[in-house]
Amino acid sequence: MAKRITIDPITRIEGHLRIDVEVDNNAVSNAWASCTMWRGIEKILRGRDPRDAWLFTQRFCGVCTTVHAMASVRSVEDALKLEVPLNAQYIRNLILIAHALHDHIVHFYQLSALDWVDVLQIPKADPAATSKLAESLSPWTRNSRNELKAAQDRVNAVAASGQLGIFANGYWGHPAMRLSPDVNLLAFSHYVQALEYQRKALQVVGLLGGKTPHIQNLTVGGVANAIDLDSPSALGMTQLATIRTLLEEVVQFVQQVYFVDVCAVAAMYPEWFKIGSGVRNYLAVPDLPLDSRGSSYDLPGGYIRGGDIAGAKTFQTAADPAFRQGVTEDVMHAYYQGEKPLHPWQGETEPAFTGWDAEQKYSWVKAPRFNGEPMQVGPLAQVLVGYAQGHALTKKYAGLAIEKVAAIGGIRVTPDMLHSTLGRHAARAIRACMLAELAQKHLQLLTDNIAKGDYTVYNAPVLPTHEVEGVGTHEAPRGTLSHWVVIKDQKIKNYQAVVPSTWNASPRDKAGAHGPYEASLLHTPLTRPEEPLEVLRTVHSFDPCMACACHAFEPSGRKIGVAKIL
Amino acid sequence: MKTALIGGIGNVLLGDDGVGPYVLRLLDSQYAFGDNVKLVDLGTPALDLTHQIVGLEAVILVDSVASDDPAGTIALYRKDDIVRDVPAERLDPHSPALSECLLTAEMLGASPKSLLLVGIAGETFEPGSPLSAPVQQSVAQAIDSVLAELDRLGFSYQKRLLPNEPGIWWREISASDPHPLI
Repeated sequence: MAKRITIDPITRIEGHLRIDVEVDNNAVSNAWASCTMWRGIEKILRGRDPRDAWLFTQRFCGVCTTVHAMASVRSVEDALKLEVPLNAQYIRNLILIAHALHDHIVHFYQLSALDWVDVLQIPKADPAATSKLAESLSPWTRNSRNELKAAQDRVNAVAASGQLGIFANGYWGHPAMRLSPDVNLLAFSHYVQALEYQRKALQVVGLLGGKTPHIQNLTVGGVANAIDLDSPSALGMTQLATIRTLLEEVVQFVQQVYFVDVCAVAAMYPEWFKIGSGVRNYLAVPDLPLDSRGSSYDLPGGYIRGGDIAGAKTFQTAADPAFRQGVTEDVMHAYYQGEKPLHPWQGETEPAFTGWDAEQKYSWVKAPRFNGEPMQVGPLAQVLVGYAQGHALTKKYAGLAIEKVAAIGGIRVTPDMLHSTLGRHAARAIRACMLAELAQKHLQLLTDNIAKGDYTVYNAPVLPTHEVEGVGTHEAPRGTLSHWVVIKDQKIKNYQAVVPSTWNASPRDKAGAHGPYEASLLHTPLTRPEEPLEVLRTVHSFDPCMACACHAFEPSGRKIGVAKIL
Repeated sequence: MKTALIGGIGNVLLGDDGVGPYVLRLLDSQYAFGDNVKLVDLGTPALDLTHQIVGLEAVILVDSVASDDPAGTIALYRKDDIVRDVPAERLDPHSPALSECLLTAEMLGASPKSLLLVGIAGETFEPGSPLSAPVQQSVAQAIDSVLAELDRLGFSYQKRLLPNEPGIWWREISASDPHPLI
């Protein structure tokens, strides 16, 4: 008899994603992913000036402010057929890269490393031996015995206080935790350092975007940065040099620490290359445009069906007709009115809450589909699509990852093994290395273009009176993001955001097909069903973000959600 | 130099949840602060809040509160009130995380010396709603709470002779808008 386990933010977990699994013989036999709060923010945009939409969409989510701002201006530019000057493309690309590097670092260390790293083993570690081990893995200069001892002391201090502070409520001592005390210490020391480097990445966003967490430099048609080579307050040599220094530090951390740690975790938990696959359809959009029209890109896009990497299809542009025409949202199992799947330009967001019902409606997330099928999005999708296309940068870092995992654990990783929980982590680290290299490239492109005397940052938009439609895409840290706008009489007539976590956290559709979170959990073995660490490992590997569009502090000491966007 | 952060937390698009950023903008428009006091509209910052608070002398946050108190009730919370409950394992790791951020700062040995949360009980969190009347009426008291904390800590400020435009941009809408915010 299957046993139902609910991991529900309302009862024991802070947040808004709820996972229900049925467990039979210590393995997951069925799964439901649901979002517990209503999203309806898009309706606020109707009737507004499309040039202002990005200010509002930036508030959809507190974590990914910039990505929603960027997708919004791109959607209006697509509708207006407006080109974006080179400087603006490079500045936008640098902001997107810096944000993504920040996000990938936060995801691995702060949000999922402690699924694999047992903090309470750290007091047993030997900092000198750990330092020696670290030197064999990476040239990183901050793996000294002293640095590691300091990290160990932090854990000891928290443990000695009698309360576990930030480490309360982990599954410490769980039999699925298998790293040695020294490896646990090494990873934890990087967890602490990661806080510094994610902050440096945010500083880059702030320098180029004017402010964080909400950037101010965007405008439909370009950016509002003043370029003046000699002024320290405008974008000139002083700021470019500061950005270069910050990026160099972040790039080193990504390539010498984050990438190596992911390879080490992969080498030490190789069984997780066989767990967590699920939906093997993948979707990614091209991003980081290299010209004003958006006809060539540094990141590849396309789609894969049924794990058939050789048969991958390519998207030529960020608003490729195949993508524009292929997306629909199904609300069969979501708390919305409506019968048939709708294209986002015709999309509706009329609530019809029924309460959680496994057979009927059970989520506030709509079910996006591409050509009628569920798709997995995120770094794994982008890496597989790039690999299929022979994209040089993807092959370079995928090759380095394969070498590193083989060197540490003697395991030969094949592309097929990437359809897994570890595959998602590995792909994110590979993508982070690609982005790190591209950060430096785009900074150079910007510097060179300014040096040529091109100070243009903006093309003025002209709003037509007839009805126009546009889609703005961005390959965000969690995957393909698309904003869909319909403009009539110079006002927004309809607006829909189809966000990465909607693709991945999607409920079943009319045909009963599971969304990616749900499918990835099927057959997952659980050592201790009452402590479902394995479920968390797989769900966390997607970098779930049911981000808090709204929250209020609960006096008992917790924030509670009241409404949300996905 | 002793430094203080005054942060408005919340989502401006969702009714009373936006009261934090709203109060912050009114403060900024009505008072002039020294260079050692930073005012930030934090939005819904999740874990990035850590970077805003580490190493500071004083942190003052204004946020909506979900409580049983009548809407508009202002309650003040200190560090201990916020970290009293240990954080639960998080399925959705990007959720709002004031307690996590404080505990992370503590683990780093860089927790702000003092922290005050000015919590305002909310009523409506619907997309596009304006502030509810009771919450709107509590705004002046929230501003006073922030200023009293600055006084207590010895940070100076001055009332502007002529207030600046507060820039509540999310309320500035066209007449044809079918979902008016005001």
